[in-house]
Amino acid sequence: MDNTIIQQGRFTSTGEAVELQIRSDVDWMRVINYTIADADQTAAIGVEYYWQRGMAADTGISYLKSNAAAAANLTNAMASGGFTLLDTSDSPLGPINATITAISAAAPPVSTNTGVNALSAGDVVRLTNVAGAQQLGGLDFTVGNATLSDTTFSLDYMPLIVAGTTGSWRKVNFQPQFYPRHRAISSISAAQSAVVIMTVTHGFTVGQEVKLVVPAAYGMVQADSLQGKITAINTATNSITLDIDSSAFTAFAFPVSAIVPFSPALVVPVGQAVEGTTSNLLDDATINTSFLGMKLAAGTASPAGANANVIYWVAGKSYSVSNA
Amino acid sequence: MLASTASFINATGGTNGDNPTELTRSDVDDVIRTLADNNAYTISANIRGEDRFGTAPVRDAYFALASTKLIGDLENVQGFIAKAQYPSPMEALREEWCSISNLRFLVSSIGSVSVGASNLGADVYNVFNVGMEAFAVIEQDGYSSQFLYRPPIYDGPLALNASVGYKMAQVPRITNDAWIINLRTTLAA
Repeated sequence: MDNTIIQQGRFTSTGEAVELQIRSDVDWMRVINYTIADADQTAAIGVEYYWQRGMAADTGISYLKSNAAAAANLTNAMASGGFTLLDTSDSPLGPINATITAISAAAPPVSTNTGVNALSAGDVVRLTNVAGAQQLGGLDFTVGNATLSDTTFSLDYMPLIVAGTTGSWRKVNFQPQFYPRHRAISSISAAQSAVVIMTVTHGFTVGQEVKLVVPAAYGMVQADSLQGKITAINTATNSITLDIDSSAFTAFAFPVSAIVPFSPALVVPVGQAVEGTTSNLLDDATINTSFLGMKLAAGTASPAGANANVIYWVAGKSYSVSNA
Repeated sequence: MLASTASFINATGGTNGDNPTELTRSDVDDVIRTLADNNAYTISANIRGEDRFGTAPVRDAYFALASTKLIGDLENVQGFIAKAQYPSPMEALREEWCSISNLRFLVSSIGSVSVGASNLGADVYNVFNVGMEAFAVIEQDGYSSQFLYRPPIYDGPLALNASVGYKMAQVPRITNDAWIINLRTTLAA
């Protein structure tokens, strides 16, 4: 196995898909469900999984275990629910889906689509060219926490808008590479300590310094270019509280469709959380969060297993790969 | 790093119907005004005018770092001065394309692009307009990057293959966000 780089590990399944960070890109991978291997199985069930470079995304080979059933110890090619290579710096967008038929005048607005959107709560979606709601075009939104079905998803942190009709959406698979990231603003309160809500889960922490960018189209021009420290965060409302007194500012109003084109209002991270002279000055340094790795699908017939399953895995790099 | 964290504005002066629009002089003026308001220093000095046909003096300027895909659009912006029209072209940088007002545009084939990020789903080109010392690269462990080559005799028992690679130990940082603006633009229709 000259020139092979191997990485291995273990995790306990939560029943959700798992993304493993694996160095040097991976050419093959084997996963063993120790929990399944440790007990007799009356029905054929996945106990070991294998993937190598050249297989299509979300596929692999599974080995089934059943001590009692006739269909025991089978090798099975997986059409789905398998392994998917990850490179978070590449292909961050899913395909364009021109399936939006309406976006409601509600808070939060709910988008209705034809077909099955296959989204999960907390996914990030980019909207484009929504008739009647062009102000949403090109912006990213965390979706699905308030309303989610095969044909609907909520724009979780948006205020009331005038209803839109047809448009397109695409999933944003990965965050921008570097942390902390700028975020588009959906609202700013007029209060002694301004509360800022953003369209995408922000990831900021208390103590970070941020700058507000508020173009004239949003009304609250007094907040433009102001810098403040985050004094509190609220993950439920996706908001941050700043030491900025906005109580006398003009009200913040998200632009309407007719205002397009305009620049979005932003929260821009500009400084690190330094609470004392002995604090680590680099604790909020700009961090490259990209990684190479593998996504394991979850479930009793998939490599990430079912809830509480103990999973062992090993991954390697081949000297050369020939997929003629 | 700049695309993820720097503040940005959309080009809005164009007529292609998208958001952002294509690049226009009013967008260039917005950027210059903002950087000047924030007391950013220009990076390059004036190039003094000379008595030569077809040339024009070049103002002291901030640098605009852009994709080569914008070359056509740049030439349509009011005030465009190609580097061949500089009184002394030898003072232009190799990667420089033009000067517009107080911006000098440096283009690269790997300039930043945000795929499908406009209102109409077009690619958005990030033009990073920077003043002096707006951002920096901090080298770690005494080097910024290393190119590594292992000849075949060290790379396998049969000496069949060589290998090359590189590693970098550096951290890019914005030193003052007020001195850098990402002007996002789409291409003209």
